[in-house]
Amino acid sequence: MRRGALVLLWMALIIVSCTRETVDESPPLFKTPSGHSTEVTFANTLAESDSLNILDYLYFYNGGGVAVGDINNDGLQDIYLSGNQVQNKLYLNEGNLKFTDITTNSKTGGNNSWSTGAIMFDANADGYLDIYVRAVVGINDFSGHDELFINNGDGTFTEQAEAYGLDFKDYGTTAAVLDYDLDGDLDIYLLNHAIHTESSFGKASLRNKRTEKTGDKLLRNDGNHFTDVSEQMGIYGGINGYGLGISVADFNQDGWPDIYVGNDFHEDDYYYINEGGVRFRESLKEHFPHTSRFSMGNDNSDLNGDGFPDIISLDMLPDDEVALKASEGDDNIQTQKLRTERFGYHYQFTRNMLFVNQPGYQFKEQALSSGIAATDWSWSALFADFDHDGVQDLFIANGIPKRPNNLDFINFISSDKIQNRINESRLLDNEALDLMPSGATPNRLFKGGGDLNFKDKSQTWLASQPSVSGASALADLDNDGDLDIVVNNINKEATLYINQTDTTATSVQLKFEYTAKNPFGIGTKVFAYAGGKTQYKELYTARGFQASSQPLVHFGFPKNTTIDSLKVIWPDNTYQTERNITTNSLVKLSPRASTPFDYHSLLPKNEKLFSKTPGNLGIDYTHKEDDYIDFNRQKLIPYQLSDRGPATAVGDINNDGVDDIYFGSSKFTSSQIYLGGDSAFAKAYIEPLKKQSKTEDKTAIIQDGKIIVGTAGADFSATNTALGDYILKLDDSLSKQPLNLLGNTSVIAPNDYDNDGDMDLFIGHQVITGDFGTAPESVLLKNNNGKYTVDKNNNLGNIGMVTDAVWTDLNDDNQKDLIVIGEWMEPQFYINNDGVLSKEKLTTEMLTGLWQTIAPLDIDDDGDLDYLLGNWGTNSKFTATEGEPLKMYHADFDNNGQTETLVATARNGDYYPIQNLPELATQLVSLKKKYSTNNDFAGKTISEIIAAKSLSKAQELNVTTLKSGYLKNEKGSFTFVPFPSSLQVAPLLDFVVFDFTNDGKKEALAGGNYFGTKPYHGRLDSFSGALIKSEQEIIDGYTLGLDFAQKSVRKLSIITHNNINYLLVTFNNEPAQVYTIETTQ
Amino acid sequence: MKTQYTLIVLLTALITLSSCSKKSEPIVITPDHFHNAIDKVTEVIIHDIFSPPVASRIYAYPNIAAYEILAVNNPSFTSLSGQLTNFTAIPAPAKDASINYELAALVAHMDMSKRLIFSEQDIEVYRDSLYSGWQELNEEEFVQSRDYGLQVSNHIAAWMDGDNYKQTRTMPKFSVRSDEPSRWQPTPPAYMDGIEPHWNKIRPFVINAADQFKPVPPPAFSLEKDSDFYKELKEVYDISQQITKDGDNSEEIAIAQFWDCNPYVSVTRGHLMFATKKITPGGHWVGITKIASKKAGLDVVHTLHAYTKTTIAMYDAFISCWDEKYRSNLIRPETLINDHIDDSWKPILQTPPFPEYVSGHSVVSGAAAESLTSIFGNNFSFNDDTEIAYGLPIRNFKSFRAAAQEAAVSRMYGGIHYRAAVDVGLNQGKDLGKFVVSELDMKVETAVSVN
Repeated sequence: MRRGALVLLWMALIIVSCTRETVDESPPLFKTPSGHSTEVTFANTLAESDSLNILDYLYFYNGGGVAVGDINNDGLQDIYLSGNQVQNKLYLNEGNLKFTDITTNSKTGGNNSWSTGAIMFDANADGYLDIYVRAVVGINDFSGHDELFINNGDGTFTEQAEAYGLDFKDYGTTAAVLDYDLDGDLDIYLLNHAIHTESSFGKASLRNKRTEKTGDKLLRNDGNHFTDVSEQMGIYGGINGYGLGISVADFNQDGWPDIYVGNDFHEDDYYYINEGGVRFRESLKEHFPHTSRFSMGNDNSDLNGDGFPDIISLDMLPDDEVALKASEGDDNIQTQKLRTERFGYHYQFTRNMLFVNQPGYQFKEQALSSGIAATDWSWSALFADFDHDGVQDLFIANGIPKRPNNLDFINFISSDKIQNRINESRLLDNEALDLMPSGATPNRLFKGGGDLNFKDKSQTWLASQPSVSGASALADLDNDGDLDIVVNNINKEATLYINQTDTTATSVQLKFEYTAKNPFGIGTKVFAYAGGKTQYKELYTARGFQASSQPLVHFGFPKNTTIDSLKVIWPDNTYQTERNITTNSLVKLSPRASTPFDYHSLLPKNEKLFSKTPGNLGIDYTHKEDDYIDFNRQKLIPYQLSDRGPATAVGDINNDGVDDIYFGSSKFTSSQIYLGGDSAFAKAYIEPLKKQSKTEDKTAIIQDGKIIVGTAGADFSATNTALGDYILKLDDSLSKQPLNLLGNTSVIAPNDYDNDGDMDLFIGHQVITGDFGTAPESVLLKNNNGKYTVDKNNNLGNIGMVTDAVWTDLNDDNQKDLIVIGEWMEPQFYINNDGVLSKEKLTTEMLTGLWQTIAPLDIDDDGDLDYLLGNWGTNSKFTATEGEPLKMYHADFDNNGQTETLVATARNGDYYPIQNLPELATQLVSLKKKYSTNNDFAGKTISEIIAAKSLSKAQELNVTTLKSGYLKNEKGSFTFVPFPSSLQVAPLLDFVVFDFTNDGKKEALAGGNYFGTKPYHGRLDSFSGALIKSEQEIIDGYTLGLDFAQKSVRKLSIITHNNINYLLVTFNNEPAQVYTIETTQ
Repeated sequence: MKTQYTLIVLLTALITLSSCSKKSEPIVITPDHFHNAIDKVTEVIIHDIFSPPVASRIYAYPNIAAYEILAVNNPSFTSLSGQLTNFTAIPAPAKDASINYELAALVAHMDMSKRLIFSEQDIEVYRDSLYSGWQELNEEEFVQSRDYGLQVSNHIAAWMDGDNYKQTRTMPKFSVRSDEPSRWQPTPPAYMDGIEPHWNKIRPFVINAADQFKPVPPPAFSLEKDSDFYKELKEVYDISQQITKDGDNSEEIAIAQFWDCNPYVSVTRGHLMFATKKITPGGHWVGITKIASKKAGLDVVHTLHAYTKTTIAMYDAFISCWDEKYRSNLIRPETLINDHIDDSWKPILQTPPFPEYVSGHSVVSGAAAESLTSIFGNNFSFNDDTEIAYGLPIRNFKSFRAAAQEAAVSRMYGGIHYRAAVDVGLNQGKDLGKFVVSELDMKVETAVSVN
């Protein structure tokens, strides 16, 4: 027996070690045969000159295009590569990864000065793919026009753009084909880019005024001619449309293809919803909480198998510390305010964005928590299942020859070298250009993890050298069933990434033989059902930035998977089901059914638990946040504290036995009372509520007919009476009585902890104004006949930056104990022994977090109370683990009598400040003496930047987890269990526990989102709320009828009106909402 | 034979030179040493991108340090101790020290400059090349003078430390609000935050308080066509349209560009960004002080007198001007013209990043001109070649006041100020300058008349 066990252990060890070996030594997933071997030797070589370079043409470095398709219908995918200044090339695939350059004979070299995107599609519906190449014409002496090479079917092509009405002389980026009006033929969306100087933003409304060369165009196929229908179809064509990315899919699954356009610079991206083929309704702001700022290429694919396409939009945020800190940083918060409030643009942040489709609601953005937010100067994104595990992976092509946003170039180098030339109206020369650092960087590949998480496999899968790569296309070049990638590079041979998954797993490629007008079936949708999982694809070829991929649909599956069935929805929205699919093969499908597909079947099946109550029960309260910006005073703090209100309290204020509501004011506005009546709640017009109040009321409770109000705002100085908590009592008038306690109060938790029959109070304080990081004192107030005094015998001390607290019996002695939580601290447990509170450690792990809210719920249904904990979430730039916690150093680093905070995150074991040199120097001026250039500063760790002596003197706070979760009660000791990733997309700010489903068991409803961050993080706005029913069952709020989109929840309350319970939701800077709970009707 | 002899002589000379470590030749400091040191500071100010108010502080303190040392040794000049706020007498040199006061003054000047800027190595390289030459000439005199210069520099630095500069670094930023139509908004292309919103909290030198020369408020904000404010707004637009039509031959455009003095003009071309950098308004007048001093053939102490008085006046002028800027917080013409008259209009000069009223260049030019007039007289004509390095021509002025007048009105031509800011600002500067001139007692008039 024993020997057997030993052998097993031994074998296990061998297996473990072997596994590790194979992982380490696994060959790259892709090999990259050279042009010498494939004969694909095209290189997009740029010749910079004094009269033509990035100063003359802002998109000088955007690169050429690539289109892949089988131009001679021999079953092999051929490659077309377009070049900016070099001739375009057409390579015929001869099999075995050998290609022949047939450019000359095929007459496809092109005649434009500057070609850009290239796509293949069958323009004349003859079953042969034609080639359409965009051009930039009309600036810098660029001549020519868009070229349409019509395939003669004999290996030759004839340029006929004029005949088809496609000979545009625009500033073209690329084009996409789609049948937007479902009339059976293929229409075209032309993506153009502005060259408008973006020195001033200009109003967003500029997009309404069409300009010929820069405006995007929608072209309707009218037989053998294309007609510009942009204006009538609602397509913007303004001077500010820097179109770089386009993605087509039926995003809302209504049967009509929609369009997502990525615009560079300050212009918003466009989200065009196709309204029945008669108009596109641009509705970005309604459907996206924020977007990438310098939007470049984009792509879409259904990542989570719900049948709704998700989107990635690329930007240019470096992930390398040196490049990151040497480059221009994020927007100034006040500039962002100006751009959104005065100029009318939407929120944009510099990083890649992953938009997860939430049917009937806005997209959820979670690139940061998915691990794909920063991939440097990124042009092309392609989703595909490269390793055949049934999950979409992500390829990103990136790089820039010179980084023009290098801070030293901007501030120091450029002036000396080029300013005189500018003054003389001469242009940047190569000497000055050479002063910009190179931005060549390896392409990236991320393995999809299935739960919307991606793992960086660039090293092991691609093993790429640094390059400047752009347009990319997918194709199975060697007909081995997996997807290869063709990439157009600047000043380097095009790369053919040949996938070596081959037939080690399972795949299928689908070729559609649709109608004469649309022979390749562009717009066809396929659901693949296999191994209990659903995958969904739509066939649109314009993907991968200035490129088009092979017109096939590809699915990968884990080894030995059998496909249960395919559901094919044709462009005319009829569908058929295919079974007995031969895997590892090319399957040809043609329509043979006329049953219309029912798109409602795709919608989430949940019953809507909530509906907005008509008239909001008379509650017309709107919270208005004052415009104080914490960062204007304490420039380095990690987030704001002045915007944590308003207070909301529900209870009986006027002793009539029914619920009333108190809403606290922000600074210099007035608080409101709504009294419950027979028909509705009515606003009480009583002094002093009619007047403005100086205080900011952050939290309140209603207790024995009195309103106890906690004030905060993080703006008033520590001794200002506006930080005094107070009690309101409504008799004939409203009387106000101070509590004689000053502080930024975050929570008031009542309990008769001394068991003398009256309610005592725990008062939690979050911050000392102007001194972020110093723990203020939190206190117990003892109630003696209505008089509250600080309980000196129960000195809780400076607990931390307290946010919430709950009284609850932790040890079954029928005395309520106290749990206090807060930011940069662990949950604190105080056991009540007959009125004496003593701190105990009830968890074994280190649990410092940015805790926001706590609520008791028996989530595991084992009879004892567990405690739900709302934290910051993982969808921000903060990172934290127990091994590499988020750190905040707090001290007066510059000895000017004012403390600073320095927040640092870990990267490969070293800590780096979250700010760059210009930002740090706004507070720590001496750093400018220490680092004379940003290049010197870039890549320096916090301990290099701040002298060890100062750093060791500083108070060090940390956060070991950012995840929300719950403390699982195991016989009085607690283990932290994180919630699933859907609850980590934003801070959770409040829970309300109630039996919403009316099944006799309580659930918790969670609300969140938080906007008090700098553009560094962006707005943490992607949480739609969630109903937590059990450890396993958590339901997204948007499927339940809640509308928390782009709103930040402060308080969830149950209010009773005429004996019916409603949900009251209070937001920061938004109108309050009342929901009818359907089960209580 | 002759070659051999020459060689021997040369060798001997070499040996003598290297073995003779203690030479005691006199170290001669000329006005050019100071002009060059100040030019060096200007260069570093441009490189490090200091804003105009901060630059005025960088110019003033080194001059005061140098002047104080020179005044110790010159009965014709009076120390500023007791005359500048909280400024006490510099330490006296040791009794037996053999000090070259002009050398000590230059050392103190460079040392103060180094403290005030970021790119210390630029000053250090310049300083060290001078140091090694002096050491060679006369080590003892050099060492004693240097040590005294540094001692004085420490004294000045300790006084400077109390001017609230450090504290103002971490004071709140100017809050941008979009709901007040008259309130200043960041301007294109960089939309920078308002710079130095707390400069009125900097300790002044001579004036009693930042608001001592508080100007009348600007015309009441109004977009009614017949209001004074709107008329001034329209005037800026109309002037700009007219002179743009006149094109490159426009004298107004030449004036605007000559007096631009914007230390950081951002340029964006797509993702490509860079800045063209120039001297500040203060830097321009420091340059004029140099031109005048050289033209008048001033010696070292008179040169420093001119620099010191003028940079003191400008330092106080910036405090006075910035006090008003962040009192009235007035919106720039560019914002209003874009919003209400012409959305594609751009001023001839890039709008600098702070509120409009009053014009900084006007106040500072007014104050500097009064200081220079008090030294060089009312009809001192000069050729201003300060801007040649920035690709601009030479302009001739018949007096400092004429130059100030032109500098002030240039801001209207440049499209960055309304008329009131220019007219009121120039008078504010003149009044302040006269006050500084009358308050400061630097030159012992009797001593001069005896000579």
